[in-house]
Amino acid sequence: MPAPPTNAAGRPILYAGRFAPEVEKTGVPEGWTVLDDREVLPARLAAVERASDLVVLDPLSFPFENLTGALRDVPLILVLPEGLDADFLAAVFGGPVFGRLDFFDRLATSDAAVLEDLRRRYRLAGGQLVRLGGTEPGEAAGEIAALLRAEAGGVDPAADGAGPGVRRARRGDYDAKAAHRAQRAALEPQFAAAHGGRAEDVPFRVLEVGAGEGRRAGSFDPARAEYHGLDEDEGAVLAARAEWPEAAFGHLGADLLFPHKDETFDLVYAAGLLGRHPDPEKRRLFSEMWRVARPGGRLLFLEDFVATAEGAKSGSRPEHVLPVLSFVELLLVATDWQVVMEHVESLRYPDEVMTRGGVIAASRLGVPRRW
Amino acid sequence: MPEDDFYVPTDLDALRMENELLAFEVRFLRSRLGWTGRSAVSSASLSRLAHLEEAERDLVLLIGRLARSPLGPVLRASGNFRTLEGRYLHSPESQDPTSPNRVAYLEGAEKDLVLLLRRLGRGPLGRVFRSRGNFRTLEQRYL
Repeated sequence: MPAPPTNAAGRPILYAGRFAPEVEKTGVPEGWTVLDDREVLPARLAAVERASDLVVLDPLSFPFENLTGALRDVPLILVLPEGLDADFLAAVFGGPVFGRLDFFDRLATSDAAVLEDLRRRYRLAGGQLVRLGGTEPGEAAGEIAALLRAEAGGVDPAADGAGPGVRRARRGDYDAKAAHRAQRAALEPQFAAAHGGRAEDVPFRVLEVGAGEGRRAGSFDPARAEYHGLDEDEGAVLAARAEWPEAAFGHLGADLLFPHKDETFDLVYAAGLLGRHPDPEKRRLFSEMWRVARPGGRLLFLEDFVATAEGAKSGSRPEHVLPVLSFVELLLVATDWQVVMEHVESLRYPDEVMTRGGVIAASRLGVPRRW
Repeated sequence: MPEDDFYVPTDLDALRMENELLAFEVRFLRSRLGWTGRSAVSSASLSRLAHLEEAERDLVLLIGRLARSPLGPVLRASGNFRTLEGRYLHSPESQDPTSPNRVAYLEGAEKDLVLLLRRLGRGPLGRVFRSRGNFRTLEQRYL
């Protein structure tokens, strides 16, 4: 059997599976690599590595268990089989497939009810849902090709349920998904630690500062946690509201003062935010984060502590990146030493030489002013 | 570098920052492990532990010198002094820093040192002892 035709780095791959002849007939989108159901043996899946998107047109024959390691960093678009309800799809794909979908992965089908049902079950963002017009595999491939072309051309189709002009988080981005997965792996144990053994009926309030389009909101179950996001970019706030209608996103003004009362949140965290601000603004942010955290609550930071070109690409500004000791010192001074260090962990992003990132968790000291 | 240009770290700076990050992580993990290990034995802080160990060393030195001095046979006539000799010069427990009762042993040594210094200072030979600089230092440190 010949190997898949090419390494598709930076370009989409379409797994047509049993529908390959049909897709060939309707025409393969230009620049795409098409795989049929004989070309997804584990050894041959290497062709998928670093592709911009993996479109799975025939999920019932795709070996999801072989998507491991770097292959999991390829943004996935899963075209659901038509004519099946959400219960059946959940029973077939369930946790191993739907439960592992990331903010950068998408589900596509013509059935809006199925999309909505799966969104609620698996905490999916609005932008992860792609509503198709046609029900035939060939039509679906064409629609997704048009969608990806539009996104690559800088056109932002309105997010599902969002008004026109609301921008949508960019999803076909291998590097962004890889970095996001690495960050999730470092943050989620800290989220769990902050939640601790809290009883189910005790609300767990979370504030993310610099939430962007809300890519980390999916880490919190709305039934167990009350998630709030703040961002300085109004466009990002609108996009986040479109992605997560049930979460509360607000705009953070230039004064960097949070619109929340003192001692409101059990967990206040920022990921990749402080490295964009000069020290006086960092100090203000630390102080505000401390103010809105309840005594005993957790402050969590995922930041770059090494200035690198890769970090600059992801948004941090080299001149504002602080070495870890200076960062911790500033945190202690800004909070009047009213924090105790809970966790320190370095973070090396995939495919990078240097360890630039790190997670720092601290608990707020003090006695609650209100009960 | 022009004044209006932002400072951009060089590779060497990046290496230094990375080294600092990794060293800080190791330091944090070490202190956490160390804290957990010690907390199982006692709630004594590190500085208190250091003070107790110093007191034990001083007591061992003091008893050794007294025992070897011309006054040794006289002092050994006292049962209390023989007990101290047995406890701090001849007991294997005093040599074992990993013993789980280490902190309790050290706290006992500090009490014994204070008692011994008081008795020596109050006795008929108090003036003689106090004429020695080392004895005065011990009195200042522990009484």
